[in-house]
Amino acid sequence: MGRAIVITSGKGGVGKTTTAANLGASLAQRGHSVVLVDADIGLRNLDVVMGLENRIVYHLVDIVRGRCTAQKALIRDRRIDNLYLLPSSQSDEKESVSPDEMRDLVRALKGAYDYVLIDCPAGIEQGFRNAVAGADEAIVVATPEVSSIRDADRVVGLLAAEDIPTRLICNRISAEMVKRGDMLSQDDVIEILSLELLGAVPLDDAIVSSTNKGMPATLAGARSAAARAYENIASRVTGEIDDVAVAQGIGFFARIGRALGLSPA
Amino acid sequence: MWNEIKGLFGARRASREEAKGRLHLVLAHDRAGLDGSRLQDLRGEIAAVIARYVEIDPESVELDVERVSRDDTHLRVSSPLRAR
Ligand SMILES: Nc1ncnc2c1ncn2[C@@H]1O[C@H](COP(=O)(O)OP(=O)(O)OP(=O)(O)O)[C@@H](O)[C@H]1O
Ligand SMILES: [Mg+2]
Repeated sequence: MGRAIVITSGKGGVGKTTTAANLGASLAQRGHSVVLVDADIGLRNLDVVMGLENRIVYHLVDIVRGRCTAQKALIRDRRIDNLYLLPSSQSDEKESVSPDEMRDLVRALKGAYDYVLIDCPAGIEQGFRNAVAGADEAIVVATPEVSSIRDADRVVGLLAAEDIPTRLICNRISAEMVKRGDMLSQDDVIEILSLELLGAVPLDDAIVSSTNKGMPATLAGARSAAARAYENIASRVTGEIDDVAVAQGIGFFARIGRALGLSPA
Repeated sequence: MWNEIKGLFGARRASREEAKGRLHLVLAHDRAGLDGSRLQDLRGEIAAVIARYVEIDPESVELDVERVSRDDTHLRVSSPLRAR
């Protein structure tokens, strides 16, 4: 039986879909079978981030409504073995699927794949309840900002009420800004949310360009700082490693400054 | 000049600290489910109860919601007593 992990945040635009794509690709690279479920009904995104938008025929709502089998709707990623996408519907309402129906769907997928990663929509309403319904575990993504952390705290409370074990990914950390005292550090975020940290992902241009290309950074050849962070997170998810790497990608000038003794190490 | 530079650095450092302070306050109220008007109502009722036992100025009663940790949020009531 596989593990179903929902990736959620409360606030929109903090990196849930980016995390699903990169973590999924990284788990598949490690030899695990992975299905990415886009649970954002009406606003599908994971397909374009994965670069699989041209291959969609059926989607999640089709399966739930019995219009096709799960096998038919799943898209196999040809770049890597064992990676599949279950796209969401772009034309249905969030209410067209119930939490019970999602739970059944996720349970069926868990029977066939090692990891079921569920990309949750923003908010805490029906879309959220659907996405967490079948989840065994949750990853909360938060950026080091007041509004993101506030919403994350709300979601953490809802997940705790459902008894879903939850860990944290701190996204879009700029080591340089943290150093200047202009950004909350990953330790600040951990302390405020009292969550176990799964990993910290640096603010990285490679994410933007890989999203443009529809190629997750962890599948791209060159090792970007963000890709390394996601690979580290994947090893933590599988339990291969226990320790968390701190956000890499300290700015060039900070490194130079340190080498010259201009700023404290 | 030096003070200006120091001021610049001081203001810089404050942005992270400010975010932390604001978050603690916001989360304390979120977690307690006490928004502005409910907090005012609670304050008024507590002041009325205290006033039944001791002499106070109801306006001076203060309520603070403080989040010590995720599972530990405190409601602190402070009320100066009038000297007899
Ligand atoms: N570590 C990062 N560095 C740079 N850009 C990032 C990073 N993470 C995410 N982004 C960018 O931020 C934007 C939002 O990311 P994403 O779509 O993953 O968020 P989301 O939480 O899924 O949003 P929504 O709530 O709308 O579903 C994207 O343009 C993405 O490329
Ligand atoms: Mg998304």
